[in-house]
Amino acid sequence: MAKDHRAGSKVRGDRLPAILMASHLLEGDTVFLSDGGWTLDPTAAKIAHDAETAAVMEAEGKAAAAANTVIEPYLVPVDLTDDGLPVARHFRDAMRQKGPSIHPDMGKQAEFAPLD
Amino acid sequence: MYRYDEFDERFVRERVAQFRGQVERRLDGSLSEDEFKPLRLKNGLYLQLHAYMLRIAVPYGTLNSAQLRQLAHIAETYDKGYGHFTTRQNLQFNWPKLKDVPDILGLLADVEMHCIQTSGNCIRNVTSDQFAGVARDEVEDPRPTAELIRQWSSLHPEFVWLPRKFKIAVTGAEHDRAAIKVHDIGLKLKRNEQGAVGYEVIVGGGLGRTPMIGKLVREFLPKDELLAYLEAVMRVYNSEGRRDNKFKARVKILVHETGEEEFRARVEEEYAKLDGPTINAPDEEVERIAAYFAPPAYDTLPEASQVLDQARAIDPELDRFVEQNAFEHKQPGYIALTISLKEIGAVPGDMSADQMRAFADVAERYSFDEFRVTHAQNLVLPHVKKDDLPAVHAALKAAGLASANAGLITDIIACPGLDYCALATAKSIPIAQAIAKTFADRERQKTIGELPIKISGCINACGHHHVGAIGILGLEKGGRENYQITVGGDATEHAALGERLGPGIDAEDVPAAIEAIVETYLAEKTGEESFIETVRRTGAEPFKAGFTAFVESRAVNSEAAE
Repeated sequence: MAKDHRAGSKVRGDRLPAILMASHLLEGDTVFLSDGGWTLDPTAAKIAHDAETAAVMEAEGKAAAAANTVIEPYLVPVDLTDDGLPVARHFRDAMRQKGPSIHPDMGKQAEFAPLD
Repeated sequence: MYRYDEFDERFVRERVAQFRGQVERRLDGSLSEDEFKPLRLKNGLYLQLHAYMLRIAVPYGTLNSAQLRQLAHIAETYDKGYGHFTTRQNLQFNWPKLKDVPDILGLLADVEMHCIQTSGNCIRNVTSDQFAGVARDEVEDPRPTAELIRQWSSLHPEFVWLPRKFKIAVTGAEHDRAAIKVHDIGLKLKRNEQGAVGYEVIVGGGLGRTPMIGKLVREFLPKDELLAYLEAVMRVYNSEGRRDNKFKARVKILVHETGEEEFRARVEEEYAKLDGPTINAPDEEVERIAAYFAPPAYDTLPEASQVLDQARAIDPELDRFVEQNAFEHKQPGYIALTISLKEIGAVPGDMSADQMRAFADVAERYSFDEFRVTHAQNLVLPHVKKDDLPAVHAALKAAGLASANAGLITDIIACPGLDYCALATAKSIPIAQAIAKTFADRERQKTIGELPIKISGCINACGHHHVGAIGILGLEKGGRENYQITVGGDATEHAALGERLGPGIDAEDVPAAIEAIVETYLAEKTGEESFIETVRRTGAEPFKAGFTAFVESRAVNSEAAE
């Protein structure tokens, strides 16, 4: 079966800090791992500053995928804003954090506070 | 239009029930994502960047008003109020929820629609000429052939797990508007010297990462032998096409690696072994299907319409619209009308639910309740009385559907690109919007004339960039979006692949680069030559020179700015 996805983040080099991003099984929405489960809000994503935390988060993602909550969880390298909010380094991941650039009225950008 | 018989109806309803069960099992955990994915793809359901995406089949691009009203209802109830017409003449919804998809499929089945053959390694939805049954240069309406292939290929037990997807296009006309030379199989209805109708069969064309122009495999195939011959081609492909490497699995690679002569010989050998009469459709079935596509009950009218002529004389907007978007109809007093979904600044191919309803009313009242989707992401009203054109134009204008730019530089094909697509490497739609804004001036568009620009946001080429007179391919380079530009591509009977002009450029430079290319054309053109005719005559060299000069001037400017 052909893969219909480019899985994982395309960032090269330093992969921290990072957040964990996935698609919600039922809704299809992009979701982020937070301190209290999965959130739709990109500003509420839990940030891994070290490799150990990232590994724990990744394991949590795999468990959630196995439990059929989310699909294709992966770590997304981010830069932090002055307010400490995580902005994806790669433009593809950033598109998922915000929503379509051609529709500011749709996706995360329409529902949540901006990241930057 | 084709109407379902009891077998079609039962088949589609069964598939809806089947998928409902599959979704239930996915949600209760009895199917894993790996198990579920091929099942959802068999029903047109993808997972994209922000949400699921549902691709709905529009067989050979033909729809009626009840179907469009149902699509409007689905768009408003289960999506965000719009749909997107694609280069496969299909329609996509960008925001459905998994839990709602079985209900959506049920609503589609209510109007004889489905999502079968829109994904997966099967024979995909067959595409055709948007002016089928209308064009003056047509030997025969291609839609009965397309419908026959749809029935033969849906759930064909041998061909549901091919090495890779398989796309068939059919045209009945001299001028190819269905891009048959860049399909896995392209069929052209023609007459032989004895006057009998049959098919020219082209195999092994395609776009994607390895673009190829199809090869002529059969000069003339008698019409009643179609299915058996297709079966022979499919058998050769199914048994010899590569399954070890996804990137080499399309039939174009098999034809290329086997060699044209040898491939033809293998097909003929396979064909000789088949028992044709057990495979080919019986005459009465072919006739039954063809009867659905009989011409509508046209009025007998004079060729010219005084009503229209007078209205055009006093309404320059109507005049321009008719001049640019009307297509000669074989029935006197009628025309076919292209409805551009390319208003300046709009998303190519997008249509709101309100527009769908308004357009459904127009099609119902003025075009025998029928319309078409084009592979250029536009719509066509196939049978409009010239006398009715002023009223049709007014209704379209009120719905924001009267852009007089069909075929012009602002009528751009663009795949969804990185704004939606999980496969994309770069954005596509914003590039189209920026180019359209740059060339928004009507007089400028008119001066430039016919110029199909086609944009893909990745190497898979859903935006057909290889066959754009100007093609644009968005890639990722060094963590940024980067755009390669080609000229000379052509999807018609003169099929050709575009030639790259130079290094890739940044998104913000694309509109000015297109301006530079257009300047080269205007300087090089002789007489009434269109852009593609000029490129065909001069080759890509002058365009490369103009492009290189542009890239160098940009480099100088950006250095000065630093």
